[in-house]
Amino acid sequence: MSAILTAEQLSRVLPVDPPVTLVDNADLTIETGCFTAIVGPSGCGKSSLLYLLGLIDRPTGGRLLLEGEELTSLSGDERARIRLEHFGFVFQFHFLLPEFNALENVMLPIRRLGRLDKAGAEARARQLLGNMGLGDKAEKSPDKLSGGERQRVAIARALANDPQIILGDEPTGNLDSANSARVVDLFRQLAHEQGRAVVCVTHDLAIADVADVRVTMLDGRITDVRHQT
Amino acid sequence: MNGRLALLFHIASKHLLVRRRQTLVAVSGVAVGVGFFLAVSALMVGSQADFVKTLIDAAPHIIVYDELRSPPPQPGVRSFPGGAVALRGYKVRNEVRGIRDWPAIVRTIDAIPGAIGSPSLSGAVTLRMGGRDEPLGVIGIDPTIETRVSTIADKLRKGHLSDLEQVQGGVIIGEEMAMRLGLGMGDVVGATSAGGATRSLRIVGLVKKGQIQLGQTSGYMLLREAQSLLNRPYIINRIGIHLADPYSAEEVAHRLETRYSYKAESWHERSADFLGLLVTRNAIMYTVVSAILLVASFGIYTAVSNSVADKRRDIAILRSMGFSQGDLQLVFVMEGLALAFTGILVGWMLGFLLMNILGSLDFPIGGENQKFPIDRSFRQYLIAAASSLLAGVVASWLPARKSARVDPVDILRGAA
Ligand SMILES: Nc1ncnc2c1ncn2[C@@H]1O[C@H](COP(=O)(O)OP(=O)(O)OP(=O)(O)O)[C@@H](O)[C@H]1O
Ligand SMILES: [Mg+2]
Repeated sequence: MSAILTAEQLSRVLPVDPPVTLVDNADLTIETGCFTAIVGPSGCGKSSLLYLLGLIDRPTGGRLLLEGEELTSLSGDERARIRLEHFGFVFQFHFLLPEFNALENVMLPIRRLGRLDKAGAEARARQLLGNMGLGDKAEKSPDKLSGGERQRVAIARALANDPQIILGDEPTGNLDSANSARVVDLFRQLAHEQGRAVVCVTHDLAIADVADVRVTMLDGRITDVRHQT
Repeated sequence: MNGRLALLFHIASKHLLVRRRQTLVAVSGVAVGVGFFLAVSALMVGSQADFVKTLIDAAPHIIVYDELRSPPPQPGVRSFPGGAVALRGYKVRNEVRGIRDWPAIVRTIDAIPGAIGSPSLSGAVTLRMGGRDEPLGVIGIDPTIETRVSTIADKLRKGHLSDLEQVQGGVIIGEEMAMRLGLGMGDVVGATSAGGATRSLRIVGLVKKGQIQLGQTSGYMLLREAQSLLNRPYIINRIGIHLADPYSAEEVAHRLETRYSYKAESWHERSADFLGLLVTRNAIMYTVVSAILLVASFGIYTAVSNSVADKRRDIAILRSMGFSQGDLQLVFVMEGLALAFTGILVGWMLGFLLMNILGSLDFPIGGENQKFPIDRSFRQYLIAAASSLLAGVVASWLPARKSARVDPVDILRGAA
């Protein structure tokens, strides 16, 4: 286990009148091989923190380091490139593109990265879908899939470019308990067996209980970071 | 890099295929614009070419006259160029009218590839027939050369230009004048020149009426005979020039005039008023066409603009995945370009069809069935394509920029 992503005094203030503080001087270290859960009451800034960690949003204060390298001053294109290579996102809603079938959805980030040719990208996407138990659903369009299946396609897409960091924003929020358990098992496996850093925002205390690290937030601040065994 | 463009185009084409109706409307807008541009410009350019051809062929491409646009410098001034000497009250030398040294000028002209110069002498005589007088402007020509320089050979009702060489004192006059004098083919008429010389002329040809450029008071004679009738042996006062490329007339005329100082009038100069009319016509045409293309580009603008608005969620998802702002702008520009390209192709077919329909129509003018002059050159297709493409780029780039302003955070938070 080693630190991969470090937030130092990270803040996000919305420049409205009066200013709204979404994230307030957050200090946090995300480690590889570790499943981190972020919990807290609704509206406390969990999603906001996750967007900052995943380079989707820019902080208004503090620093963010990826493997010791400062990310705060990078251009939009450089941040996009880092998202493409190092981050995988899973949201509460599956967020698949409706015009593309499951396979094409998973292929999108692979083709954008451009390390594999089209055939290679397709083979990798099929393999990922197979790992998710969706080998026979590859050609289906998202609206022909169940909620659990869609979320697994979304996870396959998040893993498409073999990212070191997986970020989930209530990825089980819309799933029944069986599907939910399956996703949690998968996330723990990604952390423990494949050595990735997995960060998951959740309301579900059962998930928080099985996490290696449990981060608690209140009113934009991190109030507690607890390592669990 | 190519993989990236292919991927972005894949995304763009999906967007277009999902929104079929809007795509259809935008494509038809461009297609109708391009199609009608082609039809209109084929007619305009075709009729213009027809018109200019008539203008060009009506008379020699250039006519050199024995006139000077400005008097030549006097010998005294020529001897002291730029000198502080002002000469006044000198006796101006009287020069015999006519083009001096004309064989040299004709040789210069004939040295231009494809060009022919036809020297002629014109002067006034009076035709007298049974107590009736008619003034006639005789033009002395060399028939073999003149037929290559002007189209008068085609304008004869009766007779041939070459008959002038066969018949002693042969003359060709307008059919209306012949009627007024009661003359027919082969009749003899007396002609008196300003100098008082009288000679008998025989009618060997009649010029059709209704030829504006030739005039009904002109008559053609052999150059040699005209020179003797007008008592101006070896003198000519006009050189008609036919060029291989009529559009070089202005430049050649200028060259001749600078070199020999005789007035050399190109068909451009002669028809400046008509050519001015054509400029106005073209201005009208291109205004109408720009309006059509503008309307067509509105269709593209609307389609791309709606696409950006509809796909805000997809934009946010793709951005979170690692697509850049530039990637997404390119997706939407590609949508506009795909619409423009498809519209252009369909428009080309439509234009081709319209041209064929227009070209097959008959309409009677002066009792003769005529067809529209249609210009089918590929240039029009290229102009239509280039301008629609330009309009399409602008019309898609403007809304595409808006895709960069979509903040993924707003969308992701709003949907979650
Ligand atoms: N544009 C905005 N203007 C004002 N307040 C905002 C805006 N966006 C977010 N907020 C506020 O910021 C706070 C943090 O939002 P965030 O989505 O990070 O909370 P969260 O912890 O993820 O909540 P939940 O558990 O409900 O998803 C909330 O109180 C929200 O109302
Ligand atoms: Mg949230």
